[in-house]
Amino acid sequence: MRSQVDREIDCELRAHIEMRVEDNLAAGMPPEEARRDALVRFGNATAIRERVTAADAALALDSVGRDVRYALRQLRKSPGFAFTALLTLALGIGATTALFSVVNAVMLKPLPFPTADRLVRIKSLIAANGNGGIASYLDFVDWRARNHVVDEMAAFRTGDFTLIGQHEPEHLLGASVSAQLFSLLGVTPALGRSFLPGEDKPSAAGGTDPVILSYGLWQRQFASDPSVLGRVLQLGDQRFIVVGVMPSRFQFPIQAEHIELWTTLAGDARGGANAITAQRGAHYLDVVGLLKPDVTLQQAQAELVTIASALNKEHPENKPRTVRLVPELVFLTGDLRTPLLVLLGGVGCVLLIVCANIANLLLTRASGRRREIAVRIALGASRGRVTCQLLAESLVLGLLGGGLGLALASLSFRFLVRIMPAAIPRLDTIGLDGRLLGFAFLVSLLAGILFGLAPALQASKVSLTDSLKRSGRGTGGEDRGRLRSTLVVSEIALAVVLLLGAALLLQSFLHLIRVDPGFDPHHVLTFQIDSPAGMENAQSPGFFRQAVAQIASLPGVSSASAAACLPLTGEQIQSSIEIEGHPMAMGSRASADFNAVQPDFFQTVGAALVNGRDFTAQDDLRSAPVVIVNRSLARHFFPGQNPIGKHVRPGIGNGYGPGEPPMREIVGVIEDMKQGGPSSDAAPEVYAPLAQSPFGTIFLVARTVNDPISIVKAAREQITSLDKNLPIYHVETLDQYFADSVEGPRLSSFLIGGFAALAVLLACLGVYGVVSFTVVQRTHEIGIRMALGADGGNVVRSVLSRGIALALTGVAIGLAGSFVLVHYLSSMLFGVRATDPMTFALTPFALLCVAALASYIPARRAAKVNPTVALRSE
Amino acid sequence: MPKNDLQGTLDLLVLKTLAQMVSLHGYGIVLHIQRASDELLRVEEGSLYPALHRMEQCGWIASEWAQTETNRKAKYYKLSVAGRKRLQEEQENFEHLVKGVRAMLRYA
Repeated sequence: MRSQVDREIDCELRAHIEMRVEDNLAAGMPPEEARRDALVRFGNATAIRERVTAADAALALDSVGRDVRYALRQLRKSPGFAFTALLTLALGIGATTALFSVVNAVMLKPLPFPTADRLVRIKSLIAANGNGGIASYLDFVDWRARNHVVDEMAAFRTGDFTLIGQHEPEHLLGASVSAQLFSLLGVTPALGRSFLPGEDKPSAAGGTDPVILSYGLWQRQFASDPSVLGRVLQLGDQRFIVVGVMPSRFQFPIQAEHIELWTTLAGDARGGANAITAQRGAHYLDVVGLLKPDVTLQQAQAELVTIASALNKEHPENKPRTVRLVPELVFLTGDLRTPLLVLLGGVGCVLLIVCANIANLLLTRASGRRREIAVRIALGASRGRVTCQLLAESLVLGLLGGGLGLALASLSFRFLVRIMPAAIPRLDTIGLDGRLLGFAFLVSLLAGILFGLAPALQASKVSLTDSLKRSGRGTGGEDRGRLRSTLVVSEIALAVVLLLGAALLLQSFLHLIRVDPGFDPHHVLTFQIDSPAGMENAQSPGFFRQAVAQIASLPGVSSASAAACLPLTGEQIQSSIEIEGHPMAMGSRASADFNAVQPDFFQTVGAALVNGRDFTAQDDLRSAPVVIVNRSLARHFFPGQNPIGKHVRPGIGNGYGPGEPPMREIVGVIEDMKQGGPSSDAAPEVYAPLAQSPFGTIFLVARTVNDPISIVKAAREQITSLDKNLPIYHVETLDQYFADSVEGPRLSSFLIGGFAALAVLLACLGVYGVVSFTVVQRTHEIGIRMALGADGGNVVRSVLSRGIALALTGVAIGLAGSFVLVHYLSSMLFGVRATDPMTFALTPFALLCVAALASYIPARRAAKVNPTVALRSE
Repeated sequence: MPKNDLQGTLDLLVLKTLAQMVSLHGYGIVLHIQRASDELLRVEEGSLYPALHRMEQCGWIASEWAQTETNRKAKYYKLSVAGRKRLQEEQENFEHLVKGVRAMLRYA
């Protein structure tokens, strides 16, 4: 732009000098003198040029402003077009921005810790199959001591706590952490102090363990009273002293359910040699690390793998482990990447189609402005200037639409948070930030260029004489038809891609919910309770049996039971398992999922007993150790045999006393349950009676005749009557857990389906538009044909075939593109292949039919053309 | 003070020229002023173009590229509505100035 202005100034000044030279020559001066005279009179050209440039600088900016004002005026003059274009643009850009805001909050925003960029999750995996992810305390200690790649390392686990003594007993989710965690994250408490080094080991003096509260808990339960420091709290059956309060909004580990308090691992370390922290084979801790500034992830991983191998050699009695490092943000959100990007891509396709439609609208509008543009060019505006000015109109439209879209997106934040699966972390950080504004601005600009460039170039190519002579139709018609056709073909191609994706995802989701989970989730209420404070572990089965009995006696409850773990809650306990007759060293034993259940558990959740018997009230610590296994375990370890009567030894769940867990006799076999949701595989499982394998916290399940929620109040009263300090928490129906497990696929297929429907609608509008336009253009030609004897049917056929040809081209391109793109979907699909032939055959066919219908209407109109009118229009 | 006066006077001359001649390029403006003032006024060509561009920025004149009689591309200037009003103001100011100076000189 600037050099253009410079060139103009040069030209103007030179013209002046040349003109005086001409005059001088005409007056008879010799050429050299003529020129010298002209230059002398003019003065210092450079200085003059600079002064003119300075005056013009303000002018240039003013011209941009003028363009914008002109563009706004033009939009005001065609309100119909402006309204349609702005509305569709606002919706398209709004939806895209809204989805991007989710991507931004979940995947792009850095974690809210000062050390976030060096934070890594250190996963301890079973070397043989890569399963696992949690570490043992002793491994953690050794890694920390022996490595040179990590500045600091911390271990933590979450746990349930019951706050007693405040108004109502409240269940809180808390975390037990090693002392270095907060300094590792670079966060200091808002009140009080962090944990001191060594505070995560049980103190020799036997003082009270420290606890740090979350800001929210401090506000809620302690009214933000600073004197909470030093207070002693009763959490379950243990006392803790408050030493600090974390800053508002601090969360670690970051997950959907918020952590409300932090204690140290000292609690786990009590018990001397029996403590869980003293067993190298007990993997239950998550570990994070802070990489040294000059160390890469690969280097750190390599060294830790070496350390792990050394540990394997030093402790052959344990199963060999290896180590994997993942940046913390990736660990939290890694498997959300594909679904979120697929959704963003889907809505992006819709936006592209919206742009194509607006481009078509602009082309229609341009044909009405040919006169105006021709006159402007005749008056001296360069083609480039006109194109720029038209493009400016599109950019103004784009930015206005983008602004509206951004406003719409901001209004939708709360709605988005509600419809997204609850399991997605960090959704509460959704909001307007620099990145989102930048994205909206960029998308608006690109949209404006995308739909504005081609029409602007097209419009400024106006032939002067043609458009000033005739009233409207000109030789530019041919080209314009081609541009419109290209636009519609691309719309159809995009619609095909979206439709295919939606069809695949929908089929996937339907397959998912039709999978037999192995149990009946309908009409089952579940909630968790702890054993009362101060109760010994050995007494808890009796307490829970009483609780279950009281719940079972409630009206509307057909059966009730209890278990340590529940399907679909994601809480499985892995244990080693030894088969009778195949003694193996601890380190090389197989694994199975372990659960402890009360009698009637399988009946209550609707799991089928296929062999043997269920537990009874007689199966307790006074009788022989027994176990029930699932079909998967039976098939795996006793192929072709009857497992009843055989013995297995689970590595945990020993209620009989210290020492090795006993060999248990298999008394029953149940059908496999899909513990992790419909798309998970059934793992081998062992179930011990709760009475023989006490747990401090259990899930209570009750099958109800009517709506499970109707008995919640009564259930709560029953439990309170047993112990008034015992809250019930995580109250859910099994149906709800099931729905949660398929929430992701449901949302994806719903959204992509919506986008596909929108895309098909817009593409058909495009087809309708182009075919109508062709009909109007060729009215003259159609008139002649009909006058020469062609009947209505012929005309309809020819117009229809044009529309179908367009659609076919679009479908072909769309199919080709889909073959490539659909592979990105494969991780989201279940029960259907990404290149499913039926889907690929039927979906384009459906689109062709709709496109044919869209072409039929203008075709009918063409057949009704009156030949004399058509011929006269010339 | 002389410089401002001269600048103001130049503006006045240019505006009046364009009012009389409708559309003219810079060189033509110089020639016209020379002729119409009976050769008494000679515009310093160096200060003309900065003035023309400044006046365009103020919105008193508008420019357009066109061909001269000798088929040369030149920038033509026209008076705008605001320019016409400005011309009137400047004319009044000038008359006022002349009257005042004359009165001063007559006062003996």
